[in-house]
Amino acid sequence: MSAAVENRLEIVRALSASPIARWLGYSAAIEEGGLVHRLGFAERHIGNPAIRALHGGVIASFLEFASEVEFSASLGRPEKARTVSMSIDYMASSKAQDMTARVVIARAARRIAFLEATGWQGDETRPVAAARVCLRIGEPARE
Amino acid sequence: MTEKPSPRHDINPAIGAMLHSARDFLTHEHALFSSLGLKPLLVGRGQTRFSFDVPGEFGDGDGSAHSGFLTIVLDSIMGLTVFTALEEFKPIATINLRTDYLDRAKCGVRAVCECRCLNIIDEIAFVHGEVATEEGGALIATSAGAFIVGARGAAKASRL
Repeated sequence: MSAAVENRLEIVRALSASPIARWLGYSAAIEEGGLVHRLGFAERHIGNPAIRALHGGVIASFLEFASEVEFSASLGRPEKARTVSMSIDYMASSKAQDMTARVVIARAARRIAFLEATGWQGDETRPVAAARVCLRIGEPARE
Repeated sequence: MTEKPSPRHDINPAIGAMLHSARDFLTHEHALFSSLGLKPLLVGRGQTRFSFDVPGEFGDGDGSAHSGFLTIVLDSIMGLTVFTALEEFKPIATINLRTDYLDRAKCGVRAVCECRCLNIIDEIAFVHGEVATEEGGALIATSAGAFIVGARGAAKASRL
């Protein structure tokens, strides 16, 4: 494993220690050169027990968190990024199982970064949800 | 085709009974919501207001809740608000949601989520939601979402 890959995974491990990451059952691995993010299914992720689907807000949280990790990993250091806004489209119903996601950094400027996250279950060509996330990066000047 | 939320504040009795059952289930049994201390402050036709805890298990590692936690709450209460505007029970599902995070929510505080169903047309419900601190009323997040009413396929009901 190259030093760069090991460094990215170290950043993933550092960010995965937060309570929200544990609640999401979050993990990530490097596949084909890129990070693949995973939501580890748990009963607490179910919205309506009658349909046994992931809660839409849980999916949104996962894609948002994955975007933050993706951005930090791209920098090579655990950068604290705050989400400014996020929008998500739910394109298919979800199942009570793990979700996988990839994130693309559309543009990273000095203070703001725009990312696009896509989540699926089983078949990457059939996305369950896609999110656009805007992050505030770096240390803001305190007013 | 259009099911505009009525100016009346009374909820359809059948919907009211369903919401009553849902509240008991969410408060006491649901793995996610039972930990939030959800308390209804207002449940009217097309509008709701709930207070809830911001638990540490949703923390971001700096004493604040991760912003995604707010989206979980908003998606849930906004969906519930759609039900209050319906004439009869129909399954719903979120189509999309946009959330702006105006401030951080500190873990351990209580917050208030207030939602309004703006309109239902062509089986699409448009909902606005806000989260603010219970003490002081400082705005934390705002959200706008669209929900399909009468969801078909595998999603036979709300994600709530």
